[in-house]
Amino acid sequence: MRKKYTIPTYFAFGWLGFAVFLAVFGSFIPIDGYQVIHGDFIDSPPFTSGHWFGVDSNGYDIFSGIINGARLSIFIAVVSVGLGGFIGSLLGVTAAYYRGRYDSVVNTAFNVVLSVPNLVLALALVAVLATNVDINEAVPTWRRLITLVMSLTIVIIPILGRIARAATLAWSGREFIVAARSMGMRDRHIISRHIVPNVLPALIAVGFLAVGVVIIAEASLSLLGVGIPDGASWGGMIARGRNDLEYNPHALYIPIIALAFTVISTNHVGDVLRGKLDRREGRL
Amino acid sequence: MNSMMSIGNLHVRFATPFGSLEAVRSVDLEIPAGASVGIVGESGSGKTVACRAAMGLLSGSNVQRDGTVVFDGKELTAMTREEVRNEFGTGMAMIFQDPMTALNPVRRIGTQLSESLRLRLGMDKKAALARSAELLSLVRIPDPEAMLKKFPYQLSGGMRQRVMIAIAISCNPKLLFADEPTTALDVTVQAQILQLLSELRRDLKMSMVLITHDLGVVANHTDFVAVMYAGEVVEQATTAELFANMKMPYTQALLNSIPNIEMKSGERLQVIEGRLPNPVDRPKGCGFVTRCSYAQQKCHDEHPPLLDAGNGHLYRCWYPLGHTIARKP
Amino acid sequence: MRGSFWVKRLAQLLITVFGVTFGCSLLVQLLPVSPAEILLPVGSPEERDLLTKEIGLDRGPIGYYAKWLGEFVTGDFGDIYYSGGTEEVSGRLATALPRSLLLMIYTQIVALSIAIPLGVWSAYRVGRRADKVISNTLFTMSSIPNFAIALVLVLIVGVRLQWLPTLDYQPFSAGPWEHAKHMIMPVLSLSVGLVASYTRLLRADMIATLREDYITMAASKGLSDRRVLWRHAFRPSSVTLFTSAALNMGGLIGGAIVVETIFATYGVGFEVFAAISGRQYIALQSMVAIICIFYVLFNLTIDVIAGYVDPRTRDRRINA
Repeated sequence: MRKKYTIPTYFAFGWLGFAVFLAVFGSFIPIDGYQVIHGDFIDSPPFTSGHWFGVDSNGYDIFSGIINGARLSIFIAVVSVGLGGFIGSLLGVTAAYYRGRYDSVVNTAFNVVLSVPNLVLALALVAVLATNVDINEAVPTWRRLITLVMSLTIVIIPILGRIARAATLAWSGREFIVAARSMGMRDRHIISRHIVPNVLPALIAVGFLAVGVVIIAEASLSLLGVGIPDGASWGGMIARGRNDLEYNPHALYIPIIALAFTVISTNHVGDVLRGKLDRREGRL
Repeated sequence: MNSMMSIGNLHVRFATPFGSLEAVRSVDLEIPAGASVGIVGESGSGKTVACRAAMGLLSGSNVQRDGTVVFDGKELTAMTREEVRNEFGTGMAMIFQDPMTALNPVRRIGTQLSESLRLRLGMDKKAALARSAELLSLVRIPDPEAMLKKFPYQLSGGMRQRVMIAIAISCNPKLLFADEPTTALDVTVQAQILQLLSELRRDLKMSMVLITHDLGVVANHTDFVAVMYAGEVVEQATTAELFANMKMPYTQALLNSIPNIEMKSGERLQVIEGRLPNPVDRPKGCGFVTRCSYAQQKCHDEHPPLLDAGNGHLYRCWYPLGHTIARKP
Repeated sequence: MRGSFWVKRLAQLLITVFGVTFGCSLLVQLLPVSPAEILLPVGSPEERDLLTKEIGLDRGPIGYYAKWLGEFVTGDFGDIYYSGGTEEVSGRLATALPRSLLLMIYTQIVALSIAIPLGVWSAYRVGRRADKVISNTLFTMSSIPNFAIALVLVLIVGVRLQWLPTLDYQPFSAGPWEHAKHMIMPVLSLSVGLVASYTRLLRADMIATLREDYITMAASKGLSDRRVLWRHAFRPSSVTLFTSAALNMGGLIGGAIVVETIFATYGVGFEVFAAISGRQYIALQSMVAIICIFYVLFNLTIDVIAGYVDPRTRDRRINA
C-alpha cells in the first residue's frame, strides 16, 4: 500500500522550495537591499506599508534581511553538508568495505570527533582557523565565511560518515555483493555500482537532518559573536534582534520563525524519507 | 456434564488497510467442565484468534468482536474489561506458543511467577516466593530456589515452557488455554510437556483447551476435538468418534501431515497443497475447494452448512468421507 | 569473559580521551600565530620566549602534549592570561562545573519526567487522537533550536511579564527559590527539545514491546493495564531512551554554551565561549578535555545502567 503524503509534508516541501527560491533568486526581487537604512521607519512594527515584516532599530528592513539571510544560511548549510557528506561517506564507505586497520583508524577518528559536542567543536575550529596573523586587523568577511563552512564541514564529516559506514557494513554482507566479488569484479566497480546506490538513500535522509543541525549551529555561532559579521545570516539577525528585544520584538521573532520553519521542514523531510526507506528495507 | 465455557456465534473482524478481515466466523464451541478440548487447524485458520477473543485478550481500535461467551455461568461478553480481568489467572489462564517471547526478558523468573500470586491471591512477598518454588517443582523443574533468581535468557526452551505453565496454573485456574504449547520445542521435549499438561489437568481438575496443528497430539491428550479452517469450525466430535468416523477431507489431510521424527523443530507443515483462501475476499463456496481432491461443482457454488452426523459429530462438507455414492470421479 | 568486555570498553574510552586531547593540542600548534604572541600582545620578545618555554610550545607536538598531559592529570589545567596577570583555569572551573552539572541534571530530570509518561501514554493510545496530537506537537517542538526558546522565554516571561530574572545565577545556598528562579528558564530552554526526542524514542520502543507475547501473557494473568504498561513494558523499552539520555549529556554542553551565555549562568559552556573569544587557547584545550572526559564517563555509566535495565545486554556483551 502506498502511503499518501500528508499536509505537513506538502508544507515542508513548499517552505523549503520557497526558501531555496529566495536564496537563489532573492537578489532579483525589486526591493531595497538589506543594508539600506530606512531612517524614518526605525522600529516600525510588521505590516507597515512598504515594510511587511517591519524595520529593526538600526533601520534595516526585516523582509529584505530575511531574503538575504536565506541565501547565507542555506548556502552555508548546503555547502557544509554536501562537502561533509562527500568526504564522510568516502571515508565511511571505503572503511567499511576494506575493513581491517584502515577501518579501525577511521572509526576511531569518527568516535573521537563525535565525542566533542558539535557546537564546542565548531566554536573551537572557527576560533582557531579565523585567527589572524596580525591580531589587530579584522578578519575579512570572505575568510570568515570560508572558515565557518570548513568548521561546519568537519562537524558533519563523522555524523554522515558513520551512517555511511554502518550502511555499507550492512550491505557488503549481502549475497549480491559477495557474488559480485566472486565474479572477480574490481572493488571500485562494486563500490560505485552496488554499494553506493544502496547507501545513498539513507545518507540523503540523514543529510536533510544534518542541514537542520548546521542551520542551528550557524545561528548559535552568530549568537556567540563568531558568525558572519554584520548580522547578515538569520542567526546574525537573531543576535541583533536580541539586543533590543524590549522595544522591537519582531526583529527577534521573525528571523526565529523563518529559521524554525526551515529546520522543522528539513527534519520533517528527512523523517519522511527515512520512513520510506525503512518500509523499503522491511520488504527486502 | 456442566459447561465450563460456551462460545456462541463468535465473530472476530480486524480492520486492515485492505478492508475488513474476518478472522473468526460464527464459531460455536462447548467446553465441558473437566474436559480437554483440542482445536486443530493450520497456521492462520483462526484457532489462536478465536481463543484470545473468547478470553477477551484481543484489544486495539481495529478489533471487532461479536457473539456470546459464557464462562463458568458468567457472560464474559456482557462484562466490563475490569470484570473480565478479574477472571484472568484465577478463572482462565493461557500458555503461549513461544516460550522465548512470552516471558518478560528483563524480569526474574521469581518476580514473574510471584507477581500473580501477590496481586491476584493477595499473598505477601515471602509466601508468594515459597509458593513459586512449589509451583516450579510441580512442573518438575530441578532446584526451583535457584531458578527463581534467573532471567529467562538463561533458560532452555523446555525450561521456559515449564515456567510458563507454572505461571499459568499459579492461581488455580478452572480453564487453561494452551496455545500450541510445544510447537517451538524440540521433539523430545514436546512429549514431556504434553504429558506434564495432562497430568496437571487431572491433578488440579482443570478444563483445558489445547490448540495445535498436530492431530497426533489431539488423539493422545483430548476428549473433544474441533477442527478449524479459514475461521470456521469445520468438524467437531469427541476424539474417539472423530478418529473412528472422519467426515472432512480437510481433517484427513491434516492427519496425513502429522510431522515425523526427522522434521526439524519449528518447521512449518507444508504438506497440504495450496493456500488458505484470502480472508478479506472469501470465495462464496467452500473455503477448502481449491485444495480438496474431492471437490465438485456444488462445492464452488454453495457454502456448506454445519451438518449433524449424530452423537454430536458435526461437519461442514457437501461430500463427506465415507459417502462415496454421491461422489463422481 | 565479562572482564574482557570492560577492558575493551575502557581501552576504547582511553583512546577517545587521548585522541581528543591530542587533537586539541595539535590545534593550538596549528595556530598561524604563536599563542604567546596572542596571550602577551604587548610583551617583549624575551617575555614571549619565556612564556613559550613555560607552556612547552618549544618542545614539538609530542613534547608539548606530554607536558600538558603531565600537568593536566595533576590538576593543573593551565592559566588564563589577562593584561594584568593570570588566573588558574582550575579555579574558574571549580565555580563553573557545579553550575553546568546542576543545569544538565535538572534538564535531564525535567525532560525525562515529562517524556516518560508522554511516551508510555502515546504508545498505549497508538494511532488514536491523543497519540497523534502528542506526536505532532512534539515533532514541531523538537525542531525549534534551544536558543530560540530561550530568547522567547526572555522576551515573554522575563521582559514582558517580569516573572523571572533573565540574568545571573544563584547557588542553592542562597535559598531554594532564589536558586530555582534563575534555573527555570535555562532548564526549560534546554529540555523542550529533549522531551520531544525522548518521547519519540520511548514511544517507538514501547509500541514494539506492546506487541510482544509477554505483554499479552502479563495481561492474561489479570494484571491492570497500568501495571502491564509500567512494570512489564516500560523497562524493556527504556534502554534506548536511557542510552540516548547519556549521549545527550555531551550535546547538552554544546547547547548549554548558548543558553548559559543568554542567561549569564557562567557555567562551563560560558567559560568555553569566554576562552574562545578571549583567545585563551591553552585554557580552551583543558576545558575541551574536561568536557570530553565527562562525556566519556557518562557513556561508561550508561553501559553499567543498561546492563541493569536489560539483563539481555549483559549476555550480548559476553558474546561481543
